[in-house]
Amino acid sequence: MQTKPEGISWVDWLGANHPEREMAVEQLRAFLVRGLKAALMSKGATNEFCEDIAHDSIIKILGKMDTFEGRSKFTTWAMSIAIRTGISAFRRRHFRDVSLDAVTEDGLKFDPADVTQGSPEDGLDRESILGKLQELIENDLTEKQRTVVRALLGGMPVEEIATRTDSNRNAVYKLFHDARQRLKKGFLAANFSESDLLNAISS
Amino acid sequence: MSLSKEQVKTLLSVVAGTTDDSLDCDGCFGHVSQFVEMKLAGMNLCESMKMVQTHLENCPCCQDEFEALLAAIREVGGCEASSQTPPPV
Repeated sequence: MQTKPEGISWVDWLGANHPEREMAVEQLRAFLVRGLKAALMSKGATNEFCEDIAHDSIIKILGKMDTFEGRSKFTTWAMSIAIRTGISAFRRRHFRDVSLDAVTEDGLKFDPADVTQGSPEDGLDRESILGKLQELIENDLTEKQRTVVRALLGGMPVEEIATRTDSNRNAVYKLFHDARQRLKKGFLAANFSESDLLNAISS
Repeated sequence: MSLSKEQVKTLLSVVAGTTDDSLDCDGCFGHVSQFVEMKLAGMNLCESMKMVQTHLENCPCCQDEFEALLAAIREVGGCEASSQTPPPV
């Protein structure tokens, strides 16, 4: 395979007016495929999937060239786009037939006795912590926050929740993070420290 | 279905580990390629990179993408180390 000429940047080589643009695209495509295989085949991606993602990523990368600010190497930046494209496609495929209702059914309910079953007799007041958790979920979280927390605990990724709630990834993440902060604040106000929470689940 | 014992434990764990996060997912993505390079080079993290670190600790989806990018760059890094003049593929 031809290599990129000395002294020319990827941005210039991939530029619309460069006579070797086709060669540049092919070299970038091969580079992305190698990285995608290394990152995603352990998750079940196939060669064909990686080839398809590299193709889709090239289109995105060429369309975003003017946003490359040079804070990293061009190739690392390009690979970050390919990886996000690949993982997003993976998530879409995995959750294609899963509804939000199916994942969030019954909300955040749980029985503290089920959770404490088998815990050691070490003097930790697990039931108080779990009772407080139930109270905070019920009183301090909004319905939207409860839905997002439940969906994430059910394994649904942020962007898939966003798709199903006509939202976007940033907004769903903010709902999740705000919910966590509210729960933590509630625990701290009730004099349960971070250590108390971690100790309660350590066994 | 009610939350399982493991899900309740996960929830308590993420609540305990929650820290202030000034980035959203897109903000993190905008810096993650630089973050990966600094990590691989073993460099100390500047303030903006510490914000990325914090977001990754709080966001499982971004953490997943970061780890995949790290694996990809580790694989190709040896033969494609420079953005300006990469050696032959």
